[in-house]
Amino acid sequence: MVLYVLFEHASGYALFKSIAAEEIGAELGEVQASVQDLAKFGKVLKLQAFQPFKTGANALENMASISEGVMHDDLQNFLEANVPRSKKGSTVSLGVADARLGASAQEKLHCTVTATGVVPELTRGIRLHFDKLIKGLSGSAAAKAQLGLGHSYSRAKVKFNVHRIDNMII
Amino acid sequence: GRGGMRGGTRVAVVPHRHEGVFIAKGREDALVTRNLVPGESVYGEKRINIDGDDGEKVEYRVWNPFRSKLAAAIVGGIDKIHIRPGSRVLYLGAASGTTVSHVADIVGPEGLVYAVEFSHRSGRDLINVAKKRTNVIPIIEDARHPHKYRMLVGMVDIVFADVAQPDQARIVAINAHNFLKNDGHFMISIKANCIDSTAEATAVFAGEVKKLRSEKLKPQEKLSLEPYEQDHAVVFGTYSVLNLGA
Repeated sequence: MVLYVLFEHASGYALFKSIAAEEIGAELGEVQASVQDLAKFGKVLKLQAFQPFKTGANALENMASISEGVMHDDLQNFLEANVPRSKKGSTVSLGVADARLGASAQEKLHCTVTATGVVPELTRGIRLHFDKLIKGLSGSAAAKAQLGLGHSYSRAKVKFNVHRIDNMII
Repeated sequence: GRGGMRGGTRVAVVPHRHEGVFIAKGREDALVTRNLVPGESVYGEKRINIDGDDGEKVEYRVWNPFRSKLAAAIVGGIDKIHIRPGSRVLYLGAASGTTVSHVADIVGPEGLVYAVEFSHRSGRDLINVAKKRTNVIPIIEDARHPHKYRMLVGMVDIVFADVAQPDQARIVAINAHNFLKNDGHFMISIKANCIDSTAEATAVFAGEVKKLRSEKLKPQEKLSLEPYEQDHAVVFGTYSVLNLGA
């Protein structure tokens, strides 16, 4: 079995390939220990593909889908292009962070999707080392992407004019 | 912004035991943080300007323990706050951003505060606080569903929760499982009658501590917030992933 793990970040979508998933799957404790150390973690997971969002509006659109557990077209195209199909003798499994997104991925991609087992721990590791796992992304650039998307997502949520100051009612 | 704390010559500011927090020594001592955005108050709090060693002005903002549980815990003598310059903080229940603004002052430009608030009314104020303080990332979303905002949050050093919900131990736990570093810290503010208004406060606190333990959240310090808040306590602890079952 080959395990791929999807990671969604404010800067884009990333897909990682887990090396020797079967062995580490059995040893959750070992994954937990390796997560701390980038050198060790790099031997557990390898970056398969990264696709940055084109614009802020594109990132917001994708986040709106992700937060509702819906598969955006961009994500579907990304996964179709980068997750190989299962062959005889080697099944491909996709790890995701959210079971609801997993259900729509399973339906559209015809591969095994899982949100449990070793996946949450691997996701913690990716989150911890993300800016170092993606070439050309610095820690400050990753935070800037989160800041920009955090503002646009939150503004869209409150809908009202954020410049308005409430009149105090005494 | 007028009053006794003005007139920088008579007030001295000294570092607090907690790095990034200061005490203004005037007629009465006041807890203060160094203003990340000099010249502006966030919620009408007083500002103090001090002449620095090199003749440069340094501005501090007064942090009122009656208005902030974290300030009350510091004045109450909490051993460690686990928030220091450079820290990354996930703040659940950010409200209008008053305490968040002081946390942003403490962590400084090298730190980050992911501020989660569900109420749209408070959220508007929070967004405005975050506009001035670019180390605050506003997240208007339900803290019960961390997967909804997983694209916005990195791994953090501490989860700080002031959500006042009956299921707050669970809320802290699921956020910790997603975003808190191994051996990271948490702080949870517990208001007894928000959990169970019929039970004794001490029984409620004991029950919450038990719930936290079952989620790898090991409480290490508990402090009552009297006299600043009634039947209110804060619990600080560590997230121990590796020692589970050991």
